[in-house]
Amino acid sequence: MATPYYIPESNVPLPPKDADVITTACDYCIVACGYKVYRWPVAGNKNGGASADTNAFGEDFPVAPLGPWVAPNQHNVVLHKGEPHHVVIIPDKDTKYVNTDGDSSLRGGCIAQKCYNPQTPTRDRLKTPMMRIYGILQPVPWEFALDVAAEVGKHVIKKHGDNAYGVKTFSYQYIENTYAISKYALRHINTANFTFHDTPSDVSSTPGFRDAGFDNFGPSYEDWMNAETLFICGTDPYETKTILWTQWIMKGIQNGQKAILMVPRRTAGVAYAEENGGLWLDVTPGTDLLVVNAIARTIVENGWEDSEWIKKWVNDKWGSSSGFGQGTRNTPWQWRTTWGKFQTKGFKDWKKWLLAQDEFKVENAAKVAGVDAKKIRTAAEWLAKPQGGKRPKTSIMIEKGFYWSNNTGNTQAISALGIICGAGGRPGQVIGRAGGHQRGGQRGGKYPRNKSPMKLPGRRRRALDTDTWTMSGHTRLAHVIGTTWIQSMCGSQVLAQRFEELTVANPHQVRSYDKQDIIDTLKARADSGGMVVVNQDIYLVDPIGNRYADIIFPAATWGEETFMRANGERRLRLYNKFYDAPGDAKPDWWIIAQLAKRMGFDGFDWKNSNDVAEEASRFSRGSRKDFHMIKVAAHREGKTLHQKLGEFGTNGIQGPVFMKDDGSLMGTKRLHDTQRKLDPNGPQGANMYNKKLTHFNSQTGRCNIQKSPWSLFSDYWEWLNPKGDELWATSGRTNERWQSGFDDRRRPYVVQRWPENYVEIHPDDAKSRGIESGDMVMVYSDRVPSLKETIVGVEGADYSFSGQMKNGNVELTRAAVTGVAHVTRHIKKGVIYMDFLHPEQPANAIEGRIVDWISGNYNYKMGVAKVKKIGESAYKRTFRSMSWAPRDII
Amino acid sequence: MTTLTTEALAKTDPALPQDKPAVKSKGHGKCLMNRRQFLLTSSAATATATVMVMINPGTPHAQQVPAVVASYPRKFIANLSELKQDEPVDFTYPDDGAYSESMIVKMGEAAGGGIGPNRDVVAFNYACTHQGGDLSGSYKADTKSLGACPLHLSTYDLTRHGILISGQAYQSLPQVLLELEGDKIYAVGVFGLIFGRADNLQG
Repeated sequence: MATPYYIPESNVPLPPKDADVITTACDYCIVACGYKVYRWPVAGNKNGGASADTNAFGEDFPVAPLGPWVAPNQHNVVLHKGEPHHVVIIPDKDTKYVNTDGDSSLRGGCIAQKCYNPQTPTRDRLKTPMMRIYGILQPVPWEFALDVAAEVGKHVIKKHGDNAYGVKTFSYQYIENTYAISKYALRHINTANFTFHDTPSDVSSTPGFRDAGFDNFGPSYEDWMNAETLFICGTDPYETKTILWTQWIMKGIQNGQKAILMVPRRTAGVAYAEENGGLWLDVTPGTDLLVVNAIARTIVENGWEDSEWIKKWVNDKWGSSSGFGQGTRNTPWQWRTTWGKFQTKGFKDWKKWLLAQDEFKVENAAKVAGVDAKKIRTAAEWLAKPQGGKRPKTSIMIEKGFYWSNNTGNTQAISALGIICGAGGRPGQVIGRAGGHQRGGQRGGKYPRNKSPMKLPGRRRRALDTDTWTMSGHTRLAHVIGTTWIQSMCGSQVLAQRFEELTVANPHQVRSYDKQDIIDTLKARADSGGMVVVNQDIYLVDPIGNRYADIIFPAATWGEETFMRANGERRLRLYNKFYDAPGDAKPDWWIIAQLAKRMGFDGFDWKNSNDVAEEASRFSRGSRKDFHMIKVAAHREGKTLHQKLGEFGTNGIQGPVFMKDDGSLMGTKRLHDTQRKLDPNGPQGANMYNKKLTHFNSQTGRCNIQKSPWSLFSDYWEWLNPKGDELWATSGRTNERWQSGFDDRRRPYVVQRWPENYVEIHPDDAKSRGIESGDMVMVYSDRVPSLKETIVGVEGADYSFSGQMKNGNVELTRAAVTGVAHVTRHIKKGVIYMDFLHPEQPANAIEGRIVDWISGNYNYKMGVAKVKKIGESAYKRTFRSMSWAPRDII
Repeated sequence: MTTLTTEALAKTDPALPQDKPAVKSKGHGKCLMNRRQFLLTSSAATATATVMVMINPGTPHAQQVPAVVASYPRKFIANLSELKQDEPVDFTYPDDGAYSESMIVKMGEAAGGGIGPNRDVVAFNYACTHQGGDLSGSYKADTKSLGACPLHLSTYDLTRHGILISGQAYQSLPQVLLELEGDKIYAVGVFGLIFGRADNLQG
């Protein structure tokens, strides 16, 4: 139905037989479905017809279910070599991997809407560099903007030190760009004031996995399907990794897989699993560790653990300690594994510890977590109880709801559970992350941890917390690349206030037409204790670009440049350019190269993105997406790396990639593949074998089974635990806008579905507050804890929430976010859920700005808030937008 | 043959009048230039006519191109008085071809595009707009929804013009536009492209 946002079509142009066909993969989520772009000129009106011999699909319309139907949202008009072209972008119906049935989500399905077209809401793409002059961002030429940025950058580094130049960047938006950015920031500027879009400091997202020896992305998608019991923590893959669910897990469930999902919302995937004999563990935010350890306790009490596996693949006393005798022990995983808090002498020692903790008794854990004790016992049986002398093939999947709730504790606990269930290292028996964004990171430099002034007890230097550092006024130039920074961090309203003070409220503002004058003004800003902001993005982001940036660089992105990237099973694909970038927008690697050359750095003379990829390849050696051998093969055959990878089309190839004796390339189905036979003579030619191919990522190649004390987190949890009429306030994203937020406000159908942020609230909680679906509510808190300084403390006990409270380092701040109430049965009572990254109503403002003491990550999913009705939204009495139906209809 | 619908032209070319017919077609005595008119016009069967329309009028690129003009049939679906609450009645529309299977239901709750004294009677196409799964038999009285689609679990809110509740679909479920004449309900149009088709009227 027509709406102010979206007018449905009743027909669509079809590509003609001779349309260009270009392969790519989706720009959005970790799954990275394969896509085909059909492109043909607008001039001449040579559209395809409904009969098979007149269209590019070779199919008669109407097509069969699952066929190459073109929804109007899959069509757009773009410029290609300056001429208008139609593009139809649909999932590849012929691909052999990932989206095997030619399936796609709504997000990727409508990716054609992402393409720049001035007749659509994409018209506000950044097209030219801009500079804030007299308070207004005004277009300026590239030379002008780059010269100013480089001069100010050089000055800041010289006068205030390397760490005064902050780089906050996406970690995923293509290998060529992340390589260039990290080469610039880490190898050349060598700043410790560097981190990625999703964390305040450059640290491991899953410390427990790191310590146990598990790679985040070891499994292959078929492993998730072939597991007999699949324990999914902190995500509903139907809502998020959609095609991983519909093409793999759902088929597994149809084949008898028992799926256990531990999340506070009963969304469609949870409901489907339950309908088909699965289990929902409706956990209270932050209590996952208790449930996991109660399951583990049940397993060991009954002797259901995989003893043979443990004997062969788990470190004993000697293995646990080996390799730690010398050196500074100055890496985070070494502190954790040798600290005494986590390290064990092997399985028996761990078991003894587990059984000694009363909070892990099933009844006790069930009470705190708000999960039925019977369900915990059932989960334990499914995960580990042998049936007819045969163990179930068990796999474990985790994601943000889990590892961003009690980052270190949860990931330690689940690793130990995985180990005793025999998960990891065998087909259908794996452990890993489900994933968020795609894997497009390739480091071009090493993080200089020794330059971080942030310390933990002893000589332990933790990666610099860029939020606290900036709050303290130490960042004099913030170079922000493809992230909102502010809304995506915790307690973000306080962070925004500080940005305001340091930038636009500083007296040194550009009020001049003269380049040198402008440079001098911005230098004076930095010298006065203020901050200059340089922002690189595809749209003008509010507030980082719109309100605070001094210089804006317009970036070219997906489809506008040829790039490489890997997905959640390490599958590398080439993302081909198929249309012209808007205006003068340039890829990030190019922007960085121009800036680097002006800063006086060498090694930035790339001519095109393939040059960058070829330079990056050797730095990928030994990594999970090692693509070096693709380059070796390419050069043997007189091709470029991009050309060679392009030959693999949407099927791609799974990293690490090896070359066989005959010169052909071979991928890697799974990491830690204990059944894989490598060449007994070792790697041949330029091939390189890493331990994790057939063993685990630990000092011995066997897993470390570690303790996961609740006490390291329980003081925070108990302090946070809702008081009075507070509710747990957690957040995430719905399927319709998961990993596509940077485009969603320009995708009319998504804006129609979700015009504003929403607040899911249980009917009982809503009733007692007089709230109905469609009411506008205020979500607010006087208890958003925030650290004043990074950490104030000396003794071990200081390094805890209560220790910091006692030392006066915790400040209670306030936050308020509005949203539209959605009263629904699918959310657990006592919990509200919002979109964490809605740009106008950023729910992360509510979440505690307290980093995990041990890892340095935020626990983004942990906050409390009060909710009150402030009126009715426009959606309550109209029918165009939103829906009050629950998300668990099966 | 190159075909353009006058509807598409009207939308993309602001120079074309929006409310007045630009050229006459043989079918109805007038060419339908926007969707409202498109849907308010009635005829017993799908009528298709090729007419010549001017694109880029007044410019050096002005040219006559043929356009296909088709209109939706006006089809009797049901008597309002015979509809029972939450009991869908199936019918085909706009033709009897592939993916024409549709349903009409009285939901007992006001809905976008609803007809009848309580605005609670709506009609929708049954083909999931994701990958063409069959939604027949999936109406849920408690949530006033269709789905979950057996293929990939998409669900649609029938009180809100078939908007996606949860799932993968690329657009809302096509809503069949209804007219009430006395007690008689007629289907007179479809909002949104029906799965599998390149044009709703070329099934």
